[in-house]
Amino acid sequence: MSAATGQDQKRGWDFEAAAMPFVDGLYNTALRMTRNAEDAEDLVQETYFKAYKYYDKFQEGTNFRAWLFKILKNTFINSYRKKQSIPPQSDFSEIEDSFESQVSDEATRGVKSPEQELLEGVLDEDVKRAMDGLPVDYRMAVVLADLEGFSYKEIAEILDVPVGTVMSRLYRGRKLMEEAMLEYAQEHGYIRSGEPSKMRSRRDEVPN
Amino acid sequence: MDCRKVREVVFLYTDNEMEEELLISFREHMDHCPPCAQEIHRTERILRLVRRRCSRQSAPASLRERILTSFPHRRKLL
Repeated sequence: MSAATGQDQKRGWDFEAAAMPFVDGLYNTALRMTRNAEDAEDLVQETYFKAYKYYDKFQEGTNFRAWLFKILKNTFINSYRKKQSIPPQSDFSEIEDSFESQVSDEATRGVKSPEQELLEGVLDEDVKRAMDGLPVDYRMAVVLADLEGFSYKEIAEILDVPVGTVMSRLYRGRKLMEEAMLEYAQEHGYIRSGEPSKMRSRRDEVPN
Repeated sequence: MDCRKVREVVFLYTDNEMEEELLISFREHMDHCPPCAQEIHRTERILRLVRRRCSRQSAPASLRERILTSFPHRRKLL
């Protein structure tokens, strides 16, 4: 690079001070997206490279953290998604469309896993495994909400989807995770599959 | 609000994303419907479990180093 002006230097230091506090959050999110430490590091590095380059485009007063995560997500979609041969988004649109019927099915069925056993039987790795097993669109929504604590509005902005889509992805993603965690807990032998008495008593509580 | 609606919006409640108006009828239903109240409580516990157990880790020092040394304003100093 040719001699940078004092202004460029200042801009660089400003960017560093603003952006580096988010490196842990970006790394953890990248880790859950790529499911691979090496790819996660490359993804974060590339995110910082792009953010640095486009720092002028960032509008002051808007959400800088969300802006960084949006760059991370775009970089992931463009560079890593193809590589991981993840099914395209359209594969899940059908599931999203049937969100309402899915909810009503569950509400009327009223069949739920025995909560206490589930909570006792789940290990830390199980939670990660369940999250990593989610379809990527659901996983991104869940990671941004439950690991990073972003609001629905911020997640909608980062993922470039309406808030309603964020809600349905979180709903589906969390329900799938719950099912997976229960399955792992059963594998560990903490709970016996079936639990007929409990299942039946739950089913009797028909919601009004 | 009926049970179906409560189950549909339960995450709005647990995520503190519910608007005041909806929140009032949601709470009202919850107070009078033990199965829904139980389900909401269960959902909250599972969310807490996920948030607590999926522990976050620090970015590796080597990654920080790599990022910092790639910044043009720092390269000038080397």
